[in-house]
Amino acid sequence: MIQTENVLDAKGLACPMPIVKTKKVMKNLGSGEVLEIQATDKGSTADFQAWAKSSGHEYIGTETEGDVLRHFLRKDGAGSKEETIAIPEISLDAFKDKVENGESLTILDVREQDEFEEAHIPGAIHIPLGEVENRMNELQAQDEIHIICHSGRRSGIAGEMMAKKGFGKLLNVVPGMRDWTGKTE
Amino acid sequence: MTKKTAIIASNGGLFEAYKVFNIATAAAATDHEVAIFFTFEGLNLIHKEANQQLPMPEGKEHFAEGFANANVPAIPELIEMAKELDVKFIGCQMTMDVMGLEKEAFVDGIEVGGAVTFLDFAQDADVTLTF
Repeated sequence: MIQTENVLDAKGLACPMPIVKTKKVMKNLGSGEVLEIQATDKGSTADFQAWAKSSGHEYIGTETEGDVLRHFLRKDGAGSKEETIAIPEISLDAFKDKVENGESLTILDVREQDEFEEAHIPGAIHIPLGEVENRMNELQAQDEIHIICHSGRRSGIAGEMMAKKGFGKLLNVVPGMRDWTGKTE
Repeated sequence: MTKKTAIIASNGGLFEAYKVFNIATAAAATDHEVAIFFTFEGLNLIHKEANQQLPMPEGKEHFAEGFANANVPAIPELIEMAKELDVKFIGCQMTMDVMGLEKEAFVDGIEVGGAVTFLDFAQDADVTLTF
């Protein structure tokens, strides 16, 4: 879940209304701002991907919560986006071995507050994905950092953002806390 | 360059209305320049009174419930939306003459023109559709 103040409620609306409403809201946003669209129209995922592509915005992803689809788009993303930097992945098993061998690791957990509070790996640093952009300077760019979330998707997004800002040794833990069987606190 | 979508609406039923206005608003929301040429029964779609009660195809009346459940916007609502998105409506002059209708009978903001008006727009359109 990405935190953004720009939220459009398109729940209950049928095609093409979610797109039409999004177009109107997007017009008033600044370049690079993220818009969250909440929709229940099941076709909207494909529609938003296509719409973003043809109107020059970046489709970041969709989170499903019950019947509600939460789509995230970044205005003008495609036009200004540098090429995507792929973050190397580390499997949860390999990561768990490192943790249990007592290695001193930097672990960044990018889930939301409530998820983090429920259970996290001892010693993990917590910065929710929505705050990573502004708070990544709390970490050292030269350190090896293991980024983790629930499934590996948000941590991948966080990793891309950090790699663009010069973090050189990032590892995305895939999947994530969803399947974590090690110690938590 | 802006993409162009040219649509001919030549049928006057509720299903046609949705096909026409859904595609038109979706295209306009995707930054296409859109024009719809309303001809023959297609004129019903923009007729002030007729478009409030467009008929379902015979035997398909039971879909009314489906439309309500799916929360599909009413046709006049879609027309407003299309106008806000600068979709151009062109009423066919010849059909209006045949049917004895004046421009005032139609929703505000339409242009009235002949086939050439539409062809001029459609000749370099990226998408051309007929309903």
